Amino acid sequence: MGIAIRNISKHFGAFRALDDVSIDIPSGELVALLGPSGCGKTTLLRIIAGLEHADAGSILLDGEDASSQHVRERNVGFVFQHYALFRHMTVFENVAFGLRVKPRKERPSSAEIRKRVYRLLELVQLDWLADRYPSQLSGGQRQRIALARALAVEPRVLLLDEPFGALDAKVRKELRRWLRRLHDEIHVTSVFVTHDQEEALEVADRVVLLNKGQVEQIGSPDEIYDHPNSPFVAGFLGSVNLFHGRVEDGHLHVGEHALPVGEGQGALDEAVGYVRPHEFDLLPATADSGIPAKIERVISVGPVAQIELTREDGELIEVEVYRDALDELGLREGDRVSLRPRAIRVFRKEPLAA
Amino acid sequence: MASIRRFSALPGFRLAMGYTLVYLALVVLIPLASVATNTVSLGWESFWRVVADPRVVASYQLSFGASLLAAAINTVFGLIFAWVLVRYTFPGKRLIDALIDLPFALPTAVAGIALATIYSKNGLVGSLFQPYGIDLAYNPNGVLLALVFIGLPFVVRTVQPVLADLEKEVEEAAAGLGASRWQTFVRIILPHLTPALLTGFALAFARAVGEYGSVIFIAGNVPMVSEITPLMIITKLEQYDYAGATAVASVMLIISFVLLLIINALQGWAQTRHGKGG
Repeated sequence: MGIAIRNISKHFGAFRALDDVSIDIPSGELVALLGPSGCGKTTLLRIIAGLEHADAGSILLDGEDASSQHVRERNVGFVFQHYALFRHMTVFENVAFGLRVKPRKERPSSAEIRKRVYRLLELVQLDWLADRYPSQLSGGQRQRIALARALAVEPRVLLLDEPFGALDAKVRKELRRWLRRLHDEIHVTSVFVTHDQEEALEVADRVVLLNKGQVEQIGSPDEIYDHPNSPFVAGFLGSVNLFHGRVEDGHLHVGEHALPVGEGQGALDEAVGYVRPHEFDLLPATADSGIPAKIERVISVGPVAQIELTREDGELIEVEVYRDALDELGLREGDRVSLRPRAIRVFRKEPLAA
Repeated sequence: MASIRRFSALPGFRLAMGYTLVYLALVVLIPLASVATNTVSLGWESFWRVVADPRVVASYQLSFGASLLAAAINTVFGLIFAWVLVRYTFPGKRLIDALIDLPFALPTAVAGIALATIYSKNGLVGSLFQPYGIDLAYNPNGVLLALVFIGLPFVVRTVQPVLADLEKEVEEAAAGLGASRWQTFVRIILPHLTPALLTGFALAFARAVGEYGSVIFIAGNVPMVSEITPLMIITKLEQYDYAGATAVASVMLIISFVLLLIINALQGWAQTRHGKGG
């Protein structure tokens, strides 16, 4: 049950929420729609569900045009950030709701409903809560019930809008592993919206990065992390250090220093190099390559030490190294070092850098 | 005697409870008790003669019947009013919102006279119904009209905030699960509103039972047909029959109290179904 999103555009007044967005989501995949707030990801999800209507474009569910179908008819499961459980119903009745409102001809018998609801409650490991009311559950439990409720109608696709957004950090981490395992079990095509790149990279088969209503990049988590195709993507997926300069003869020239970027890179007059904090080697200040910097602060909690350094021109650089390596080098705050990036991603400097 | 004072997380229980009981006694219980003692002075036989008088019984029927009906009508229309005010935006919304409270503020006699003028045979609205042989004023219809008028704000004002509280997402979730608009209304929205509707119904009903001023101008006050119980009480008072007046009043009190208790119990039941602890 794949989803095809074809040239979807949506305006809210003068604000362009989505601009000619096309995405193909193959059957059985778990896809993350990732982007900063206001990028249109939730709007896109609501359009897929039929809760919102696009100004232009179409949504194909399993090859069939669903654009004119009402949310009732689309048979999609939708999970809301704030659960949206029915407060006056027990957990059992919440999950059973989708089955009970079916037209009489299609409605399963009440024994069948009971069986199916319990099977789903077991799937989300909450069958022991069947008689409770939503107000008696924790946030994580509520969201699992919301998921069971959405799955009860055997939806063609499962859509989740920031499903873990309202939960605290620990529960969120647990639940996203659990969602991944659940998806491996039931294989329903799923799309979830998140603004948390870690969540997207950890859970999804593929990540769609949206920015200002447009698709920036689509790819597997590795692909988009290791090979971002725009400065936005590079900047959005974790912290980066920026080096402004010009590219010539396979080197990025930053001030008087040159950093090798590989022969494949063509010459650029105005370029920006992106280096992630863990992609630096720390060398003694006397080394003849790399960029000189001074250690300002070392935060060494856990296995990885975070080091804040300043360049000669005063710009801040963040570096992460294993603490063992740091101890071996015997570096402390105030020391001078030379930073050599192991990998640099170079982009043309944009006229209006965001 | 050393007693250990226990400190509660919610201090001020004794003080607050003390004020509550004194206030309740002064304002509600003592006046009501005097009704009872006055009635007792009458003796059982004459008490029965007064309260079982066919004219008085007819007034009970009218008062409680019309009050229940008016409260029911207001529950339906109050829900629609609240729905319109919460769900839609339209020009003049604030004005309508303010107009709803007017029956609260208007002296009831003014309301009664205004209603009688408009709904009588020659009145603006009454004349429209006249050709079909329907009289809206000076009969039980008039009583009902007046009671509907004064009870309207109660349901609107109790339902409005609760309806505003209902998240749009809950309805979207229901629609996503395949529920029709009607199923969503009956299974999701209405249960959510039931406690508030019952409260509004109870308030509108209680107000209607006690109403006097607006009703007497439009009721016509025909014996056995359109006399309300408060009018019977006033009539007896005007004849210096204080014991008789309190006898009628005490029966009215008991019926009102029982009905309100039932409504309260229903409310409690609806609330539990709503899930304890909010």
